[in-house]
Amino acid sequence: MTVSSAPEVAFGVLPRADGSARYSHAGYTVLASVNGPIEAQRRDEHAYEAHVDVIVRPAAGVGGTRERHLEAILQSSLSQLILIKNFPRCLIQIVLQVESSPENDYVNTKLVQASLNFALMPTLMQTAILALLSAGVPMRATATATAIAVSHDKTVVDPSPRDVETARSVHVLAFTSQDDLLLAESEGDFTVKEWDDIYEAAKKICCRPAPDGASMQLDDDDSSPAAVGPDLRQFLRSTMESKVAADLHWK
Amino acid sequence: MATKHHVVLPGEPIDPSLIPTHPKHPLRLGPGLRHIPPEDIVPTVAGQLITNPAKNSMWIEYNSNRYIPSQNDLVLAQILRSTSDFYLCSLSPHTAPATLPHLAFEAATKKTRPQLAPGQLVYARVSLANKHMDPELECVHPGTGKADGLGPIAGPGCAFDVSLGFARRLLMARSREEGGVGVLEMLGGEEGGGLAFETAVGRNGRVWVGSESPKTVVIVGRALQETDRLGLGLEGQRKLVKRLVKEVK
Repeated sequence: MTVSSAPEVAFGVLPRADGSARYSHAGYTVLASVNGPIEAQRRDEHAYEAHVDVIVRPAAGVGGTRERHLEAILQSSLSQLILIKNFPRCLIQIVLQVESSPENDYVNTKLVQASLNFALMPTLMQTAILALLSAGVPMRATATATAIAVSHDKTVVDPSPRDVETARSVHVLAFTSQDDLLLAESEGDFTVKEWDDIYEAAKKICCRPAPDGASMQLDDDDSSPAAVGPDLRQFLRSTMESKVAADLHWK
Repeated sequence: MATKHHVVLPGEPIDPSLIPTHPKHPLRLGPGLRHIPPEDIVPTVAGQLITNPAKNSMWIEYNSNRYIPSQNDLVLAQILRSTSDFYLCSLSPHTAPATLPHLAFEAATKKTRPQLAPGQLVYARVSLANKHMDPELECVHPGTGKADGLGPIAGPGCAFDVSLGFARRLLMARSREEGGVGVLEMLGGEEGGGLAFETAVGRNGRVWVGSESPKTVVIVGRALQETDRLGLGLEGQRKLVKRLVKEVK
């Protein structure tokens, strides 16, 4: 039932944008373009910092209140990461287009209005980070995000639409590369104890230390790889390494 | 030149053993690095960490599509409009316009300043680049009052867009030996059959190619753009030049 596919990314898909990335993970595919720093409109202009503009477009139809909500959440977390003080009176524009989302086998969705939920958030966040890295926008740190659904004392990492439907609560957490909590959004009923467990589980996924012999074995003993999910930080690093090598042909 | 190559991501700690130390020179940080007092040096972009122990400097090599002006860069600017004291020029699309004072030309006075129409290309030097202000340009050496090859671009030709890294290599004094870009020399040499053309390379990723013959402009422009896009080596550039010259003639 779970749509757990390995994350994939392609950089520079949009040749005219300053930076772009197409990222797919857990059944979602998102295309992001980043332009910036560019001239901000007068109403968005801040005297001392850059304005970060996040636009989320659903797979079908035009964006509504749900998208504005996601945009607001992403905007405040990405502004923490980007060094906005370096570009006063500028605009950094991030456009996130959802290209595909996993199908729900239980409900006959006609995809007139693509429903958006927290399960999409980590993919949006990760795509935005990758596109920002591709654009060379100065940042304080990178970040990794994950979604966790809790249903009847079972926790599901990267939940499918069905998991979200049946879950009691859904949580999205993001951590910076310095292991600090960047984003914590939850919906549904849950106890403080549950949230603490989810925090620990998410931290384990997002902040896995760089693999070396000893820690690798510990990880394997602790839990099966399927329950823990892919090593996002290692993924980010390895993809950026290959991108940098390709980029620097004309350094 | 540079010795060590390490890929870094924003916010990653840099191994102290990689930071160069020198008894006399102070440590110089180049693009992509940020100093957080008292002693942390943190990268802000994803790229390759390069250190130069001889000059006690370190910086990050990365490729971005957006030109961010810095002082003394040579750029190819396009005039947008004129105000009472200066021209407003565009360096890259959608960025705030750079200012070029009417008197920043060789031998310009209030009476004899060049009249430039919107759309005109100007080869200029960035004289002021400050994050809180719009960049300023000049077409004259402030010390000598000579143009030194800067100024409005005249004559038939066309401007082509290339990547920032490629433009930087073209601007190297010995671009063939150090930068691995010999395509312009080849076009003018025996491979290209001695084409006659002139170029102005801007650090903002724009190259102007001028020639009396439109064919030559097309050959040179395509050769530059294809070399950039495909990342050709010297041998590949030679083949490309021969092919283009044959195809267009």
